[in-house]
Amino acid sequence: MIVGDLEGEALARLLSGPGLRLRTGPVVTRITSPLDDVAHGVGLLYRDHPVDEGFADFHVRIDRPAGLRRWLKPQVQFRFDGWPPFYPLPGDQGFPILEWGMNWCVSTTCHQYLIVHAAVVERGGKALILPAPPGSGKSTLCAGLVHRGWRLLSDELTLLDPGSGQVMPVPRPVSLKNASIEVIGRFAPQSVLSPTVHDTLKGSVAHMKPPVESVHRALEGAAPRWLVLPRYRAGAQARLEPLPKGRAFMHLVESAFNYHLHGRGGFEVIGCAIEACDCFEFAYGDLEEAATVFAELADRP
Amino acid sequence: MRWHTVPRETLSLRTFDDELVVRNGATGSTHLLQPLAAEALKLLLEASNGMTAAELAARLGNDAEDGAAGIAAMEDLLSEFKRLGLAEPID
Amino acid sequence: MTPLVQALRDPADTPSWTRSRWELLVRQARSADLLSRLAALLEDLGALEKVPAEPRAHLLAARTVWRAQEEAVHREVGQIRKALAPSGVEIVLLKGAAYLYAGLPAARGRVFSDIDILVPRAVLAQVEAALMLHGWATTHHDPYDQRYYREWMHELPPMQHVTRQTVLDVHHAIVPLTARLKPDSAKLLAGARPLPEHPGVKVLAPADMVLHSAAHLFLNEELSHGLRDLVDLDSLLRHFGGEPGFWTALIARATEMDLEQPLRYALRYSNRILGTPVPGDALSGSVSRLMDALFLRALQPDHPTASDGLTPMARWLLYVRAHWMRLPPGRLAYHLTVKALRKEREEPAAAGR
Repeated sequence: MIVGDLEGEALARLLSGPGLRLRTGPVVTRITSPLDDVAHGVGLLYRDHPVDEGFADFHVRIDRPAGLRRWLKPQVQFRFDGWPPFYPLPGDQGFPILEWGMNWCVSTTCHQYLIVHAAVVERGGKALILPAPPGSGKSTLCAGLVHRGWRLLSDELTLLDPGSGQVMPVPRPVSLKNASIEVIGRFAPQSVLSPTVHDTLKGSVAHMKPPVESVHRALEGAAPRWLVLPRYRAGAQARLEPLPKGRAFMHLVESAFNYHLHGRGGFEVIGCAIEACDCFEFAYGDLEEAATVFAELADRP
Repeated sequence: MRWHTVPRETLSLRTFDDELVVRNGATGSTHLLQPLAAEALKLLLEASNGMTAAELAARLGNDAEDGAAGIAAMEDLLSEFKRLGLAEPID
Repeated sequence: MTPLVQALRDPADTPSWTRSRWELLVRQARSADLLSRLAALLEDLGALEKVPAEPRAHLLAARTVWRAQEEAVHREVGQIRKALAPSGVEIVLLKGAAYLYAGLPAARGRVFSDIDILVPRAVLAQVEAALMLHGWATTHHDPYDQRYYREWMHELPPMQHVTRQTVLDVHHAIVPLTARLKPDSAKLLAGARPLPEHPGVKVLAPADMVLHSAAHLFLNEELSHGLRDLVDLDSLLRHFGGEPGFWTALIARATEMDLEQPLRYALRYSNRILGTPVPGDALSGSVSRLMDALFLRALQPDHPTASDGLTPMARWLLYVRAHWMRLPPGRLAYHLTVKALRKEREEPAAAGR
């Protein structure tokens, strides 16, 4: 069964009651929330995702924190097994806080993987990893590429499996900020976007539903093949510059959430990934141009 | 003063072109060494009796003209290795 | 009995549990900081591979964390030795670092945060100076907190290393100076055992290790990790309990060190909750029904699925009691008032994201 099979009020009832067990790649999250916009966001953006009956890895809840503020100025809070790891956010940010919370769950507990803060997409069984600090345009690029022939593995969390060296998918909505929201709306008119939430800590935020194929193939990993550091600059011409592998290695080390937990094993995992990858820096100003460059990259032998 | 690296088993190394990434198990830190430093570390790793700054400078192509400056540069490099916990003076 | 306590008592049984029960167990264990302990117990039994795949992933992740922490402890102790070697001060490791260095089963899967060491009070200033020279800085800069630690408690304010960010707690006693109980630190230091493979590092004698663990648990203000601390105690008692003469020596030492009451509670609750084998006569002495009710509830896992209505109250009452044991009444009132006032004033730390 998928989320989209839940008819009418069934999803809202599930979320308000026993909880929705949502599978996203290797993890299942049991979500409860009495809030309408959470139910709406989940129904819209997780429509193709499987509803699971089995073991839930995380129990999360989005609700309003207790206290007077409930009535004066509503807020939303994310709880991990009853405990809130972050401070509450303004009341209309229920769906974004769920997304940030689900990222937090994986990045703080799934240490069986080496977790890199990077977007990752796949083509022909090979993974393109895009580590980048906020503001580099990685999420926009990721959102664009998955509408031009690439499969989404993740827009935030690159999970490297030490055993196989492969990247494991966690296909979830892609978060877009500010101008990117409109850019993607035009670039991929068929994409499904959540309502935009304004005045968040990151500005205006919306989430894009992952293409259905990426959800169907959520258990299929990919071998690292390209590592690209993107940098968006208005008016820049799309260009790939070779990046020395030593520097690329250090970028991965610095972008990893849990490198320090993997000891010498982490060094080896990153070493193997870099060994296997062609590494570049990438400047771009236009998404269509960028997509063309990456299509050509994928076609090279 | 003769210098040697910390025990080989504590280090994880990988070469990419002429650069070297090294993880020091004793400190838990990972470093990227530029070609000259990378070469120097490799020489030290191979020297079973350690090396002096002068010997290191000579092996790296220091000649009579550069002489003292080259040796001073090697002394700085060795101090840096010491700070990173990669090498130390033999006592 | 909650799934977590059941699993701790009989880990060999858990591979056959349903996924549903495992789901609850993982949540409770994570909340109690005992997930890696569970992983270690199962690994020691060779049973980790038999755990269903979905919960096993969590155990393996916890194991990764614990192994990294062990390495970090080794590194830290090495650095501390380097810092204190010139002054000739011998380091007596306490708690987790001690269990690790002494190769005790209690170290298996144990979560480490700070490193705790014991030094003679006379050299405290010297130790602090040597540590600062090597990059450790004091924390808790509020003058009240500084006094609290230095004058009233039994330690320097925690020291944090400026580059490594690790935290070191330097104790000169195992209970506060102002406590009603008065164990003698000189005796603890005199009884400390050297570790042949680690020159310059010592650990407390077995009976003292147990007594310290008991004192820490039953005089500590933070009982939210009570079960984790009880797991330490249980492990130490099971390990040393088989040695001839241990129990007699333990009880005698408790009397000598004025720690009979914490030991009495320790043996009682470890036996009741975790099934620690304790000789009958060691369990003698009465404990009031009220204390029983408070402790048995407060030592349960701190998790929504393991609490009943009484638990927050139970914890608070024991918090007050722990402080009562540590501070004379006048100072206690002052301390609780200041602590309460400060909580309102505290600035929220950056939201973790």
